[in-house]
Amino acid sequence: MKKFLASATLAGVATTIAWGQSPSPTPSPNEIESLRQQVQSLTQTVQALQEQVKAQEEALAKLGSAPLPSPAPATGAASPSPIPSAAAPAFPTEDESVVASSAQPTPIAGATATPAPATVAASATFPTTDTSVVAPTDSISTTGAGTALTQPIGIGNSRNYMNISLDGLFTGGYSSERDFDRLEPHGHDPNQRGFTVQNVELTFQGAVDPYFEAFSTLIFLLDKNAETEVELEEAWMQTTSLPFGLQLKGGQFLSPFGRINQIHPHAFDFADAPLILGRLLGPDGLRGAGGQLSWTAPLPWYSQLTLAVQNGRGETAWPFRNPGEEGIFFGRMTTDRELRGLEDLVWIPRLENSFNLSDTQTVLFGVSGAFGSNDTGGNTRTQIYGADLFYKWKSARAEGGFPFVKWQSEFIYRRFEAGRGMEETFPVAETFHDWGIYSQVLWGFKKGWVAGVRGDYLQMTDSAFTDDLAREPRSRVSANLTWFPTEFSKIRLQYNHDFLGGTQFFGGEDADSVFLQFEFILGAHAAHKF
Amino acid sequence: MKKHFLVFPAFLAALIASAEAKLNVVATLPDFGAVAREIGGDKVAVTVMAKPTEDSHFVDARPSFVVQLRTADVLIDGGAELELGWLPPLLQNARNPKIEVGKPGRVQAAQGIRLMGAPTTLTRAAGDVHALGNPHFMIDPIIAKAVALHIAQAFSAVDPANAAFYDANYKKFEATINAKLQEWGATLLPFKGQPIAAYHESWVYLAHRFGFRIDIFLEPKPGIPPSPSHLARVIEKMKAAQVKAILVEPYHNRKIAEKVAASTGARVVDLAQFPGALPETDTYVKLIDALVSRIAAAMR
Repeated sequence: MKKFLASATLAGVATTIAWGQSPSPTPSPNEIESLRQQVQSLTQTVQALQEQVKAQEEALAKLGSAPLPSPAPATGAASPSPIPSAAAPAFPTEDESVVASSAQPTPIAGATATPAPATVAASATFPTTDTSVVAPTDSISTTGAGTALTQPIGIGNSRNYMNISLDGLFTGGYSSERDFDRLEPHGHDPNQRGFTVQNVELTFQGAVDPYFEAFSTLIFLLDKNAETEVELEEAWMQTTSLPFGLQLKGGQFLSPFGRINQIHPHAFDFADAPLILGRLLGPDGLRGAGGQLSWTAPLPWYSQLTLAVQNGRGETAWPFRNPGEEGIFFGRMTTDRELRGLEDLVWIPRLENSFNLSDTQTVLFGVSGAFGSNDTGGNTRTQIYGADLFYKWKSARAEGGFPFVKWQSEFIYRRFEAGRGMEETFPVAETFHDWGIYSQVLWGFKKGWVAGVRGDYLQMTDSAFTDDLAREPRSRVSANLTWFPTEFSKIRLQYNHDFLGGTQFFGGEDADSVFLQFEFILGAHAAHKF
Repeated sequence: MKKHFLVFPAFLAALIASAEAKLNVVATLPDFGAVAREIGGDKVAVTVMAKPTEDSHFVDARPSFVVQLRTADVLIDGGAELELGWLPPLLQNARNPKIEVGKPGRVQAAQGIRLMGAPTTLTRAAGDVHALGNPHFMIDPIIAKAVALHIAQAFSAVDPANAAFYDANYKKFEATINAKLQEWGATLLPFKGQPIAAYHESWVYLAHRFGFRIDIFLEPKPGIPPSPSHLARVIEKMKAAQVKAILVEPYHNRKIAEKVAASTGARVVDLAQFPGALPETDTYVKLIDALVSRIAAAMR
């Protein structure tokens, strides 16, 4: 089309040149000859171009396209582009500048059945293909990871096979209590008076092939002596197209226990983790290498059953086969033994259900378990049970996701059989019944603004034989205010009051702490689950 | 309580029966849903995820959507990153091969559409930018026709027995839009080339179609709340250009628009992107009818 117009223009120009030069009064034979040659060469060019156009039209026709429409002058309200319609109505009803001349979606794979009726084809008054206006269908970005499967995932306008993002989470803070290790037990909590690099997370995500997708997070943090620690927090693959609502997952991943354990620190609603996460599941939460099978039940509401099995060894399986610091755990010299059988792995079942209470209110609740062995004796077991509840209301006229109210509560009970340690060196065997709860309400009262309150309670069984720092009963209240300038940054001010009166570990004085937390996200960060 | 247990299996049975009879169609946004209803008629059951009145960039990935997606025969989404913040985790959990990209059951509406306003330089310093271009394209009736055809073709591919039915409905929709375009074009012709202000940059396709100039925005950058200094500049510009209307959507801060209107003499016009957000706009054509008449009333 363009070529045709171009050749027409060219011909016009040639004529103009010829005419423009002819008025010269008495042209010499030389001049006439040179003009003749010029005209001849121009004519040849035009012919060559016409042939090219013809060849292209034929090629297009072979591709099964309808004949190219001839441009008709725009009538009525002028449109920014020519209206390709023979009988153009008063107001244009077609517009090639926005609708590519082929509305044909991706070729339908395996649709061998009845072809679409002829009328559908005929109704397409535009030619069915035209690469000059249709973006190649494969350049249209899919809606994201997990859906893309074989297609590259877009980072901006470029195309790439994975999404990459970098998230930085920092806090500046002060507390009346100096011992942050004991006050803030989770590994990504603020760790000193002054500034803490809580979590710098590098995330990779994408489709592996038509059968799997994969996700990985590498975490960098600075300890209080500014030593950089690197954690392979997660690196897993999972199936995308198993039948019957099944999904298999394998690799290193956060255990599907409870709610807060499955959330990355940068997505926490507070500057620090609930006490039960750091104390009952461990300073690093519960995660590890293993496999998982989940099943979405064919019910009218959301119901998912998950069973994961993980090694359950080391500091990321803290209450299980964990040799502890310098070989001591809860005062016992640990056995640090190899796996003897399936009972030494950690088995983690979880059932979660969700209902909509109304058009704007949703609840999600789950029950979880984690069962395995621990290293404090020859045959000592750990059982953990959890229940979690999440409620959210969001306005039907929400802007940027605001206003909303979220209520999240979680209860964890841990039964820990503490044996007599390696070679029965500890005086007694005992069983600890530890439990705790937290409950938090977040109110997004205005676009970008969230206010929150949280209560924490932790009860630990007394042991007459150990004054382990990790076995303190605790309670705490927190309040915070967060401003999200956009979904890619946040600034949070938080106040904590720890009730420490009556505990022997902190000298019996309550502690007050203030944190200013800030976060940035660069790149294509994966959307979060509900 | 006991009653509930009796009602429940019956409900379940009814659900399964209805699922067998009709094509299960899930649309991410109400405009796709409205067009799908026109094309599918009583042969399809359409569920829509986003509410017409809410900001469609920030819909919650409620688990109930997983249930809808799990049993969907057809999924219609924009395919232009509008639903990027909430659709991917849902699809990850839905485990439904029928609605994967490239399958006949997946309609990505932006396919075949040339999106306007794709940024040449991609930086989040510019606010909420859409890398592929402005995704609010359904507001242009000509584009809506193309999407309707796309939907009709997908329905025919998934349910060949009713292909003629879907095709007839598409033809009807196309004819209605073609006729209506004459009416809308005539109504808005007197205001061609006139400037209009808007809260958010979501009307480029409408402006392009009917020849308005919508280049003054209350938001300094897309998705960034208006600041007083920016509003002062907006008021100045609006006075200079004699702007008569400020377009506001249901979830925007109307008070800000009212203040600007009071100091410029312009009128606040309540518009919406989605059928169902304004009264009596349950179909696509009725929505555009409402938009056209509201704009015309304010400009007069």
